[in-house]
Amino acid sequence: MRVRDLMQETWSALDANRGRSALTVLGIVIGISAVIAMTSLIGGINKALVGELGLSQAQLVYINLFVDRDLTYDDVDKMARDLTDYQMMVASSYGSAEVSTGKKKGSGNLTGVKPAYFTATGAKFVDGRAFTEGEEHSGAMAIILDKEGVRTLFGDADAKVVGQTVRVGNDECTIVGVVEGSGGSYMSGEDTVNAYMPFSTMATRVVGNRSVSQIMGFAQEGSNMEQVVDRTKDYLALTYNIPESEREDSIYVYSMQSMIDSVNATMGAFSLLMTAVAGISLLVGGIGIMNMMLTNVTERIREIGLRKALGARRSDITRQFMLESICLCLSGGLIGVALGYGASFGLTGLVAAAFMGEGSSMQVTPLIDVGTVLFATIICIVTGVVFGWYPARRAAKLDPVESLHYQ
Amino acid sequence: MGYVLDVSGVHRIYESAAGYTHALRGVSLTVSRGEFLCVMGPSGSGKSTLMNILGCLDRPTSGTYRLEGIDVSELDDDELAELRALRLGFVFQSFNLLPRATVMRNVQLPLIYSNVAPSERVERALRALRSVSLPAEYYDHRSNELSGGQMQRVAIARALVNDPALILADEPTGNLDSATSEMVLKTFGRLRDEGKTIVLITHDPEVSQWADRTVHIRDGKLLTDEEERELVQSMSAARPGLGAGRGHT
Ligand SMILES: Nc1ncnc2c1ncn2[C@@H]1O[C@H](COP(=O)(O)OP(=O)(O)O)[C@@H](O)[C@H]1O
Ligand SMILES: [Mg+2]
Repeated sequence: MRVRDLMQETWSALDANRGRSALTVLGIVIGISAVIAMTSLIGGINKALVGELGLSQAQLVYINLFVDRDLTYDDVDKMARDLTDYQMMVASSYGSAEVSTGKKKGSGNLTGVKPAYFTATGAKFVDGRAFTEGEEHSGAMAIILDKEGVRTLFGDADAKVVGQTVRVGNDECTIVGVVEGSGGSYMSGEDTVNAYMPFSTMATRVVGNRSVSQIMGFAQEGSNMEQVVDRTKDYLALTYNIPESEREDSIYVYSMQSMIDSVNATMGAFSLLMTAVAGISLLVGGIGIMNMMLTNVTERIREIGLRKALGARRSDITRQFMLESICLCLSGGLIGVALGYGASFGLTGLVAAAFMGEGSSMQVTPLIDVGTVLFATIICIVTGVVFGWYPARRAAKLDPVESLHYQ
Repeated sequence: MGYVLDVSGVHRIYESAAGYTHALRGVSLTVSRGEFLCVMGPSGSGKSTLMNILGCLDRPTSGTYRLEGIDVSELDDDELAELRALRLGFVFQSFNLLPRATVMRNVQLPLIYSNVAPSERVERALRALRSVSLPAEYYDHRSNELSGGQMQRVAIARALVNDPALILADEPTGNLDSATSEMVLKTFGRLRDEGKTIVLITHDPEVSQWADRTVHIRDGKLLTDEEERELVQSMSAARPGLGAGRGHT
C-alpha cells in the first residue's frame, strides 16, 4: 500500500469521526501545552536573568557593608584595587526628591552613579547617552530617566525628551539620556520616577555627602562565585575590623548567581510539577485515544473484513490504524503547542512576579524553541504508537470471514 | 489449459462453543475459464462456507483447493491476501461499499492493495465502471447516495477492476427487487460473454437461469448428476417452466 493512499484512508477515517476525535485529543492537548508552556517559560526566565545585561548577571555581586561610618567612593576604589576577583566595581547612592515638569510631577527615586555604571550594567539607552567624566567631575545638573519615568512626566514613554529640563527638588536638570528600564528597583508606584544623576551631583545636591549605599562588583570571567563571595566577606571583615560575632549582621555579600540558582531550583520544582501534569494527561489522553481506537475498530469490523477480502494484508490494516492514532496524537500535539505558547505569553507577568518579586520590571519573553517543538512532536508520535498499537493489532488479527458477517 | 478452480475432497468443520459443525462434507468441483457457474442450495447448506474457501478467505479443514494451479493450502496469510488482491473479485449480498467514499474510490480500493499506480488505477476503474454500465454522472457520488442496484453494479465494477481470474458472488441479488436483480444478472451475463469466470451462489432458482451450469449443494455435499436430475424433475413438476436455465447446454 502506497504512503499516499495510506494517508488518504487515514484522513477520511478521521474526518468521519471529527467530533469524537476532537474530544479524545483533549488529554494530549493539555499534556503537550503543559510541556510547551513550562519549557518556554523556563527558557524565557533564564534568558531574562542571564542574558539581558552587558556583563553577565551571573558575575554580578552585591555588596552591602554596615559599619559605624558611611562608606565613600574611596572605600570602593580601594576594594577594587585589593580584590583581584573583580574586573570592575561600581557604587551608587540613593536619594529621593520631587521630580517635575511644568505640568506633571512624580516622586523621584534617584540613583547617583559614575559613568562606568552604565557600561558595567549594560544599560540599554533608547535615546541620548550616559554621563561623561566631565559631568561627573563638575557635578553637572544632568539626569537620565527610564521610559516609565518619561511616561509619568511627559505622558508618553516614547516622547523625545533629551535636551529638555526637569525640576529635581529646587534644581533644573537637563535630560541627557533615556534607558529602557531601571531593572532592580523594587519600589515602583504610580508616580514613581526612576532616574540617575552623576554621583557627585547627587552628593552635593541630594544626599549631602559622598557616601555610597550599594556596591556592585563584577567578577572575572569564569570565577567560582561562591568562592568570590567568601573571599570578599573575609576581606571586608579584615579590612573593617569586624569581629566574628558581628559578621552576620554587618556584611551582606550575595551574588546574582545564588539568586539564579535559587530561581533555578524553584523552576526545577515547577517543571517537575508540570512534567507530572504533562505525564499524567498524556497517559490519560493516550488511554482515551486507545479507547477511541478500540471503538473505531469495533465499529469498522465489516470495513476491515472487506479490506481484507479485497487484498489488504495484516500489515496494511495495522499501519492504517496506527497512522490514525498517530495523527490523532499529532493533531492534539499541534493544538497543544499553540495553546502552550499562548498560555506562556499570558503567564509571563505572573511568573515574573512570582520569581522576581512583586512589581519587578524584569521582562520575560517566552522562548520559542524548535527543539522543544520537535520534542513535543516526538512525544506525540510515541504516544500514538504506544496507545495505537493494541487496537491496530486487534484490527489486523480479525478473521476476514467473521468480520464480513459481523452485524 | 487447466481449470481456473479445482476443488477436491474439501471438508470444513467449524469448531464452536456449541460443538462441531460439519459444513462441507467432501466437496469436489472444477470450473473452466470463461464459465459461469451457479451454486444453488437452501439456507444453511454450506454455500457461504464454500464461497469463503473459494475466495481464499478461509482454509479447508481437509482436501485441496487449487486456484489457477496454485495449491492455496500452502500459502501464508500475506500470500493469500496478495492472491485476493490480484486474482479474485468479490460481490456480496450486502454490497459492502465504503459508504462515505466516492464510487471511483470504492472501485479503486482493490488496486490500492496491489500497489497499482494512481493514473493506471483511474483508467482501470473507469473501464470497470463502463462495463457495468453505471452512468458517468455517478462516478463522483458517494456510494451511500446510490440505489441498491447502482450499489451492486459499483460492487461488481470493484470485483472486476483487478482483472481477476475468478469473480465470486454470494447472493448478489439477495437484497434487490426482481427488476433490479435482472439488471444485475444481465451484467454478470455480459461479463461471462466477455470471457470472465464467475461463480455465483444463490438459493433462488430464477437466478440460476443465467448461468452456464448449476450445481446443487445440500448439507455440505454437492448433488451427483443422478440426484440433480431427480431434483430438476421434481422442481419442474412443482413449478413448470423453471427446468432449464438460459445457456444451459
Ligand atoms: N463460523 C461458523 N461457526 C460455526 N458454524 C458455522 C459458521 N459459519 C457457518 N456455520 C454453520 O455451517 C453451516 C453452513 O453455513 P453457511 O455456509 O453459511 O450456509 P449458507 O450460506 O448456505 O446459508 C450452517 O449450519 C451454519 O450454521
Ligand atoms: Mg450464506
